[in-house]
Amino acid sequence: MEIDAEDAKKTILDYCLRKGALAAGVADLAALERIAPPGHRPSDLMPKIKSVISLGVGGQTQGAWSVPAKAMGYFGSTETRAYTIAYGAAFLIESRYQTPAIYCPPDMDNEKGPRVPLQSLKLHAEVAGIGARSLAGDILLHPEFGYMYFASIFTELELPPDQPMETNPCPAPSCVAMYRQIGRTPCQKFCPVQCLSGSIDEDGKQAEMHYDMAACAEMSQQYEAVPAMLSEAMAAEDAQGREDALFDPDNKMLWYKMSVGSGGLLAQCFECMRVCPIATKAPLADPIRRSIAKEGV
Amino acid sequence: MARGFSRQQIGVTGAMIDSYGDLIFQLSHNMQTRRGDPIRTLDFEGIEASRDELGMSDGQIAARVGLSEPQVMYIRNMMERRNFNSRHYHRLLELGGGKRFREERFTDHTERFHYHDDAIALREAMAFAPDRARHYSEQGWWADDTLSGWLARHVSQRPEAAAIIQGDLVINYADLGDRVDRLAGGLHGLGLGQGDVIAVQLPNIAEYLISYLAIARLGGVMTTLYMPHREREFETLLTHSRARALICLSDAGGFPAAETALGLKLPKLQSVIAIGPVASAVPGAVAFEDLANGTASANKLNLPLPVAADPFLLLYTSGTTASPKAVPHNSHTMLGNARLGAGEHLLTADDVILSAPPFGHLFALYSFHLALYTGAANLLLATFTPPDLARVVEDGRATALFTAPAHMAACLGMGLFDKHDWSSLSLAVLSGSAVPGDMARAVAVKMPNCAMTQLWGMTETQGGLYCRPGDGIDIASRSAGRPAPGVEARISDEGELQVRGSMLFPSYFDNPGANEAAFTDDGWFRSGDLAARDAIGNIAITGRIKDIINRGGVKYNPREIEDLLDGHPDIAQSAIVPMPDDVLGERACCFAVATDKNLDLNQVCAYLLEKGIAKTKLPERLVLMDEMPMTPTRKIIKGRLVLPEI
Repeated sequence: MEIDAEDAKKTILDYCLRKGALAAGVADLAALERIAPPGHRPSDLMPKIKSVISLGVGGQTQGAWSVPAKAMGYFGSTETRAYTIAYGAAFLIESRYQTPAIYCPPDMDNEKGPRVPLQSLKLHAEVAGIGARSLAGDILLHPEFGYMYFASIFTELELPPDQPMETNPCPAPSCVAMYRQIGRTPCQKFCPVQCLSGSIDEDGKQAEMHYDMAACAEMSQQYEAVPAMLSEAMAAEDAQGREDALFDPDNKMLWYKMSVGSGGLLAQCFECMRVCPIATKAPLADPIRRSIAKEGV
Repeated sequence: MARGFSRQQIGVTGAMIDSYGDLIFQLSHNMQTRRGDPIRTLDFEGIEASRDELGMSDGQIAARVGLSEPQVMYIRNMMERRNFNSRHYHRLLELGGGKRFREERFTDHTERFHYHDDAIALREAMAFAPDRARHYSEQGWWADDTLSGWLARHVSQRPEAAAIIQGDLVINYADLGDRVDRLAGGLHGLGLGQGDVIAVQLPNIAEYLISYLAIARLGGVMTTLYMPHREREFETLLTHSRARALICLSDAGGFPAAETALGLKLPKLQSVIAIGPVASAVPGAVAFEDLANGTASANKLNLPLPVAADPFLLLYTSGTTASPKAVPHNSHTMLGNARLGAGEHLLTADDVILSAPPFGHLFALYSFHLALYTGAANLLLATFTPPDLARVVEDGRATALFTAPAHMAACLGMGLFDKHDWSSLSLAVLSGSAVPGDMARAVAVKMPNCAMTQLWGMTETQGGLYCRPGDGIDIASRSAGRPAPGVEARISDEGELQVRGSMLFPSYFDNPGANEAAFTDDGWFRSGDLAARDAIGNIAITGRIKDIINRGGVKYNPREIEDLLDGHPDIAQSAIVPMPDDVLGERACCFAVATDKNLDLNQVCAYLLEKGIAKTKLPERLVLMDEMPMTPTRKIIKGRLVLPEI
């Protein structure tokens, strides 16, 4: 079967955009293979892989950034939209081009243990040119769409790669101005666990980014908190201590999240993004802005 | 363990985790540093140069450190578990409402307020039967009453209304609220806070009420010391109550209260706050004025408001020097009782309420609670003397008087009802000791437009029974009326008055022996008072169970003998107590304060026989006293009557 790579790429990316992705691109496989550590390279999962397609969907709504209830604002289900599109794209590739494709899940690597993902979706997206690393713990930002959730598709179909973004939108001019005044950007200043630090050079570009992921994870990764709770209960001196360790309101909330699978507060706390001018104020950062742009208002 | 290997199978030891844990944690993705933007620019040399800092995979770390990959994975996960702080997400939850985290304003949870052990112990004493608690809440007897809440209501609604009148000094509710707020802030500045017991020994002056309200605003617990208390009582009560501070006079009529308290060097007594012109001169004491005039008010400090279930009073009923019986109350029991009682006493915001007993006694605090609930004015009498009481009633135009029978008897005896204008009074509530009927009727004659009522209560119960203003002197002179709203009363087979209800304290603090004796098996409080109920439900207090004389198996209540003796022309006060006897078990001994120092037993017995008393009830010994030991409400303390050697 003769396949026009450019045409196939356009068809696949158009599909992604039509289904709701804000941005999509193809990452340079060779670059990924060189950058990713052994065991986490695309070919480690799919030996005959030829292309990695990355797509991003819209992040939070304007409402999510402003509601008082954090669990409501940061309920972690937005990313599932990206996975749905990626899954559909994998089906599209196989059905139209009769070439193996697989949606790459954002899951833990069963063999590598907790906190280790199978692949870095962030790396795929960055190399595909749909996001650039920010001072906020390397969360990717896009100059038009702000902050997105990403998904990847692996395929044995060879597609021409895109290039990474030419410029990095982070730091925004207002962040540079703040940094010049107080030595910190908004994401660094307002992080609840102060897990971010770094510097900006004379040209207003990122010089250094320090990210204490351990502290960041403490904010919300309750799969760590639940065993810790059980450990506390086992070590408690008496029945009251055990009861507190297992059933005080905070811990009971953990049980609730575990038992019903609530995504609330899983992953990150997003405070760095809530104060980020790119994430919240990029021209197409949220449905309201995109709607206004579409209508030409 | 990934791939199912155990620690033993991969050869990881505790020593290995200790040795390599920090290094592995630092090299892993847990700590990341990126210099420049090498990935976006595909600067492969830059990526390789900074790979260590970007966060390495377990395999890369294994190669770097010289361990196996499973060992690194295991150690990394153990370190992540050890370094994990499961409470950090609280920081996020506090950012509700669009607020941003500001490190400089944040206090870690571990460093925030927690009740100290003594406060927790006191809170443990606030244990109520679940069915009772539910019932009282359902009935509305327990609600959200707090002194702070009541005060705030008046500050908001009637700021200009008089709250405290002390001679020429008039403090309105707005001013009172401000003074309380600032003093609470000042107390907080001394390191005092929620659950802390603060003792107060003051006469009935404005500072007493301001202190009481400030302690309540702080979430503290007030315990009271009577003005006659001296070093020995200080030591016992301040120690037992675990008081963290004392508010007292620098000079209490020659007694250096502040200096005495400081001299005790009690380990838990952090602060002594002195009032008076020489307060600042007491070494080690804090001047009340300094605290009261501070700028760090409780509201500015955003101190949490107390709630009704918080204990806020710890009062002592007896045992001031040994085995103290400390009665804790929260706002449910104490303030609910006052809220429900205000209407029963027909009190309103227009009233001017005066307490003759000291605020150290619950009866006086009850009058204050009624005033604060209704928004009435508190007219203050610093220290009782009959002429001062008469003068304050007249000058202050008191409308409601809370007083002990002995107070009224003294005024009556000195002819003060004829010398002063008592006509402003529309209510006089007598309590604190047995009310002699003749005296009550005589006072009622002097104040024909004043409803005279009788109230029965204890520190444990506050207002338990009382007459209503419309009952009339006939009922009020012979009974303590009917149960207050929320109160149930019954009389046992032995004639003891037993009560339960929403006003009842839960248990004595730190005195399990007293608790065992205080309650029946079905949860009623044994008052220790003997009582009788008439046909329409009025309950008369007829004596004390422990005062019963058991003379060879013949038991009788000495109260009727005492009432008769109080009418003897040569006897000012009398008390009959049992004295041990080898033959009969007990015989009656009469203690008396006599105006005729030659009064003898034969004369007393002849008088009683003339009044129709049976010979078996006659006292068999007479002890003449210069004065009786009295409670602050002028009740004879029979336990302190000691038989002299013959």
